[in-house]
Amino acid sequence: MNSLILRTIAPFLAALMMLFSVFVLLRGHNEPGGGFIGGLIAASALAIYGIGSGVDTVRRAIVVHPNAIAGAGLLMSAVAGLSAMFMGRPVLTGLWWIPVVEGIEIPLSTVLVFDVGVYFVVLGSLASIALTLEEGD
Amino acid sequence: MRKLLLPATALAAAALFTSAAAAAPTGDLRAEAMMPGSTPFTPWLTVLPILIPLLGAALTMMLRHKVTWQAPIAMAAVGLATLFGFLLFAEVAVNGPLIMAAGNWLPPFGIVMTVDRLGALFVVATAVVGLAGLIYARRDIDESRTRFGFYTFYCLLIAGVCGSFSTGDIFNLYVWFEVFLVSSFGLMILGGEKLQLDGAVKYGVLNLIATTIFLIAVGLLYGFTGTLNMADIRAVIAASDGAPVATVGALFVMAFAMKAAAFPMHFWLPASYHTPRVVVGAIFAGLLTKVGVYALLRVLVMLFGAEGELFYPLIGWLGVFTAIMGGMGALAQTNLRRMAAFLVVSGIGVMLVGLGLGSSAGLTGAVVYAVHSILAMMGLFLAIGLAERFGGGATAAGADIYARSSLVAGLFLVFGFAAAGLPPFSGFWPKLMLVQASLETSGVLGIAGVVAIILSGFLTTVTAGKAWALTFLKPAAERGPAPVAAAAEAVSVPRSGQAAVVLLAALVLLLGLVPQLVIVPAEEGVAGLLDPSLYITRVLEAH
Amino acid sequence: MTVPADLMLWVALAPFGAAALAPTLVHKLGAKAGWILAIVPAALFLGYASMIPEVSHGATLRAGVDWAPALGIRYAQLIDGLSLTFALLVTGIGTFIVVYAGGYLKGHHHQGRFLSFLLLFMGAMLGLVVADDLISLFVFYELTSITSFLLIGFDHTREPARRAAVQALVITGGGGLALLAGLILMRMVSGETSVAGLLASPDVLREAPAYTAIFILVCLGAFTKSAQVPFHSWLPNAMEAPTPVSAYLHSATMVKAGVFVLMRFAPTLDDTALWHTVLPLFGGATFLTGVILGIRQTDLKQILAYTTVASLGLLVMLTGLGTQYAVAGAVAYLFAHALFKGGLFMVAGCIDHETGTRDIRLLGGLAGKMPVTFVAALLGCLSMAGLPPMIGFVAKEVMYDGVWQIGGVSVATIVAVAGNALMFCIALSLLLPFFKKPGEMPKKPHEGYPSLWLGPIVLGGVALGSALMLETTVHALIGPMTGAVLGEAVELHLHLWPTGLYPPVVLTLVTVGAGLVLFALYTVVRGGVGAALDAIGWGPDRGFDQLLGALIGLCVRVTHLVQPGLMQRYVTTTFVLLAIALLAPIAIDGLPALSLPSDLSEPQYFVVIASAIAGLWIVIIAKSRLVAIVSLGVQGVMVALIFMLYGAPDLSFTQFMVETLSVIILALVMTQLDLEIEDHRLKGHMIKDATIALACGLGFAIVLYGVVQQPLDLRLSDFYMTYAYDIAHGRNVVNVILVDFRALDTLGEIAVVMAAGLAILALLRLGPLARSEPSDSTMTATRKASSGEVTS
Repeated sequence: MNSLILRTIAPFLAALMMLFSVFVLLRGHNEPGGGFIGGLIAASALAIYGIGSGVDTVRRAIVVHPNAIAGAGLLMSAVAGLSAMFMGRPVLTGLWWIPVVEGIEIPLSTVLVFDVGVYFVVLGSLASIALTLEEGD
Repeated sequence: MRKLLLPATALAAAALFTSAAAAAPTGDLRAEAMMPGSTPFTPWLTVLPILIPLLGAALTMMLRHKVTWQAPIAMAAVGLATLFGFLLFAEVAVNGPLIMAAGNWLPPFGIVMTVDRLGALFVVATAVVGLAGLIYARRDIDESRTRFGFYTFYCLLIAGVCGSFSTGDIFNLYVWFEVFLVSSFGLMILGGEKLQLDGAVKYGVLNLIATTIFLIAVGLLYGFTGTLNMADIRAVIAASDGAPVATVGALFVMAFAMKAAAFPMHFWLPASYHTPRVVVGAIFAGLLTKVGVYALLRVLVMLFGAEGELFYPLIGWLGVFTAIMGGMGALAQTNLRRMAAFLVVSGIGVMLVGLGLGSSAGLTGAVVYAVHSILAMMGLFLAIGLAERFGGGATAAGADIYARSSLVAGLFLVFGFAAAGLPPFSGFWPKLMLVQASLETSGVLGIAGVVAIILSGFLTTVTAGKAWALTFLKPAAERGPAPVAAAAEAVSVPRSGQAAVVLLAALVLLLGLVPQLVIVPAEEGVAGLLDPSLYITRVLEAH
Repeated sequence: MTVPADLMLWVALAPFGAAALAPTLVHKLGAKAGWILAIVPAALFLGYASMIPEVSHGATLRAGVDWAPALGIRYAQLIDGLSLTFALLVTGIGTFIVVYAGGYLKGHHHQGRFLSFLLLFMGAMLGLVVADDLISLFVFYELTSITSFLLIGFDHTREPARRAAVQALVITGGGGLALLAGLILMRMVSGETSVAGLLASPDVLREAPAYTAIFILVCLGAFTKSAQVPFHSWLPNAMEAPTPVSAYLHSATMVKAGVFVLMRFAPTLDDTALWHTVLPLFGGATFLTGVILGIRQTDLKQILAYTTVASLGLLVMLTGLGTQYAVAGAVAYLFAHALFKGGLFMVAGCIDHETGTRDIRLLGGLAGKMPVTFVAALLGCLSMAGLPPMIGFVAKEVMYDGVWQIGGVSVATIVAVAGNALMFCIALSLLLPFFKKPGEMPKKPHEGYPSLWLGPIVLGGVALGSALMLETTVHALIGPMTGAVLGEAVELHLHLWPTGLYPPVVLTLVTVGAGLVLFALYTVVRGGVGAALDAIGWGPDRGFDQLLGALIGLCVRVTHLVQPGLMQRYVTTTFVLLAIALLAPIAIDGLPALSLPSDLSEPQYFVVIASAIAGLWIVIIAKSRLVAIVSLGVQGVMVALIFMLYGAPDLSFTQFMVETLSVIILALVMTQLDLEIEDHRLKGHMIKDATIALACGLGFAIVLYGVVQQPLDLRLSDFYMTYAYDIAHGRNVVNVILVDFRALDTLGEIAVVMAAGLAILALLRLGPLARSEPSDSTMTATRKASSGEVTS
């Protein structure tokens, strides 16, 4: 892809989309969103980055192979499910920890870890395909 | 990546150490919606044979560039799954159905993993052949296939199959079906040869149709019953007298019969099983069709109860044709793998005959046959894989394996005769049980069942004998003027591969000599299907 | 002192242990291993011999343990006159066979394997004859077939050996399956699981409606195993096996398993018109066929094999006649035959071993060169010819007695005399190699090792001794066995030397006379029979090949029909079945009450649905596949719109995404892979496809409509709504369902996503897509490959 405009704005667009994907991921528990759609957006971000700046740049930027990200996501989700074992709860029971930092409640939970895992799996898998396809051209 | 991982681990750790806070705010509500008390370790046995291979898949995926780590990770995961599978089997044998309400949500609202005698039996069989396949794979799978996820797919396949046998939720069953379908598709295309791709297309498309029909049926069933929990579905169907579930039942039968490769929905199996690496064909032959049979048992017999009986004769007749067609197909083949693929189909027919009889004896026979088939078909494919190393892929071409490795030749014969139902191997007992059960059934189906089982046994005997004589006994010299002897010397059969097949052969012989090992759990498992009151009580009155 | 039956139950398994040890033993000790391994059958023989006193006094010894209690199957043994005599033959002859095999295969690099198979067979045969439980009887019965298969194919480099092995497996294995069905029927009809139980209530089977079925099935099993016409051809072919196998399995023991089964169940199955007709008919035919085919042979083993077929026919015929003396004749003859035929086979092997040929036209003058072998042969041939003072003579006398008592000069009598005369002639011809002028023999003959002549000489000696001590023989073996077959104790009075000119003696004289005449014309008869048979040119042996060929041909044709390798056919079949699955229950149960939804009257719904239908119509009629794909997308978008109109934006958005992506990906695949864009289906084909699609769609619509009209149970959604925020801390119920209520599903689904990603990656990187040249489309590749799916 030789469009100068795209090459220029792709990094910014990708960064913005990445940020947005995290936002969508985190707000998912209460508003429309979540790991799945977040991962989709993030993968699109990488795809756009790849089109604009070249696949190699993207691969360098994310350090590890996208498949490894997907694997890590599955690992996170599974571990989030298993962690309940140590608390005497059944598999995938949501364990919550809501610390108050300067008056703001920050709800943290294994459920969130699980959702982040979903995010990574979708991100990794789709990005892997997208980047490979882009390389093929 | 490390940057991303760190916060995640921190989060997980934080959540771990502070979950005590969780119980505080909404105590009363919790009592309404969640299971009381803390969960001991035992119920975890229901999910560990799934979660550990899943972790194995995740780890192999993460460490994809560490080619040498892949096999040990997978081996450790499936090994642990086997261990927990056996513990699960023992626990269920002593204390009856074991449940775990995922997310701690009160049944039937969450997903309840429920393992009864039947499920536990299949989980153990799955784990054992899974392990045997991995042992074989160590020396059979090249670096490129390893790099492109052989072990990841393999672990997922085991997780999916174990999940199917362990779940107490019909939609969750669909999910596990998808897991093993997609991972099996991945295994099928690894290597990417033309023939393989042709097989994979047929396999993928037809199985996707089957899985979609299954999904539609689940949706319709939810519409009728308003629940997805199996125990609850059974209770609702039993309570609503004459629920209009005939079409839904027909869809389930079609979907599972397709998965099981029943005639005339078996096309995908002989079209594809011979194309990938032999260990892949083997694990498919061992496990996948049997999941279809298991699902038929679970859904039609347990969930539908009396409503399902409408379909028994249909399934029985499908079985009759499948058994005979499979046997005929096997005899028609000159390629050993294709022959074995048709033998898988033939065996499915025998199981379906048992299912179609609908009697306790018939169902028990079908279950015992399924366990036998898991071991024997896996072993048969792997033995053929060993034989192929001697150039014995086709029956017409003599490879003189009998003289060059009597062990390999003997192993093939063990599985061939086991498939034919000859004593003293594992296939004899279920065939005996099913012939008896057929004879006890009045009507044409009973007679047809006997004929089908005996005829398929006969055809399989001829097939095995013919293949053995032509491939294993026949000297290579008769093949043509070119002496193959020089190449023959160079054949090396990896010890690990042989060990895996010997293990399976030993099991096939063991079950032939001590049939009680399977018959008793199968009988109790079937009793639990026919009268699932304990299952239902365990699930619905868990609190 | 009697060895307790409980002990023998386990000791009887010793041959299996010995079989496991044999290869190692041979490896360590070489040919001497035969002598050591022979201890096992010898010890077993002594153990069973110790039971003779009790059994001869009418006792039945039983022992057993549960094997598969869930099925009511036991590992149990029953020792009565029948099983004891058989057990003694199996172990006694087995002892000498093991010794003999040690010498015969001396230096053969697979001798260990051979002895192992032989001992496996011995264990199986022993287990069969002493079995009490009906199913364990069958297990051992099949094991004898399997070990026989292995032993016939032992000399695997020879094509005839391989063919013979498969033939034996097919015929005896197929018969075994029939026997299994028969045994199961017996169990069901009688409610008895053991032989002893059946024998205790002998009439229960005869009077059952299933009697005919049981009889036919048991006969199929017995006739195939005991090589009755027309199933006999496997037995002469089985001579491809090394001679110890021929001597042991295919003359003395295994082939008698069929006769054994008939005798075992005779008390419960005989005395019916069927029994008295079918058995003598097949037996008699086999008897004559065997001797006629036998007389034309020139190979020692073939001669012996065909006379074995004949003898088996004789046994079946006598068993079928079923009178006391007929059965006694069968028993005596069975005993005599095992001894002389086992011995003669070993002699034949010995001659083969020492001279390098078995052709009686070449052999000659061996009496002086192999004196011990000659004595053994003489004893065997005398017994076979039915001449005094051998047990074979006694057997023939009793048999003539039995046949004569039934109807004087009857068909049975004529068959018996004619067959025996031919047998007499053949027996004499077997002595020719010792006297006549020798031809060109490959080796210079000399006496064989002791291990080679010990067996035949002892068996010959027993054949002589048992006749000389006839009273003891009758008391210990023949009497109790006859009693067991008849189902009642009998008093038999047999004597070796005739005391007057009774009808049997006259028949014997006729037999000997006719036999001598035949022998005088031996070469002429042999040539004449040979020429006649060649003129016919067809026999069951060729018939077997034709049948098997036809069966395989049929299988190939049917498989081609069912599994043509055409994806299109598979998919069409699948959807036709789907349509049936959807519509058939509706056809049976009737339509659900259909009332058109009121929403349809509102214009926006009407427009959306009309557009969707228009899209589908284009899909059906489109000539270009790309157009069809896009039109399908239109329909999908309309569905998304419907979701939107019903107030489900999430769902609508997802549906929209999925549809867009599908269209893009499908279009990409079509163009990138250079697939055929044009749809070349004929009109009729398209109409067919459209009909199937419409039927499926109609079915789904009706079913869905039925579901919608049911009151929807909202328990689940209510629960989720109620607790999503309060317990699971989430206001977005959809997300809470995904990550908490049904998180396990999500876990599975992300595994699917991961696997799918990996699979696509593997396809892109490893597959032919990665290296495909544009001209070679996957579609044509599919077609090419698919044609190879069945043909191979």
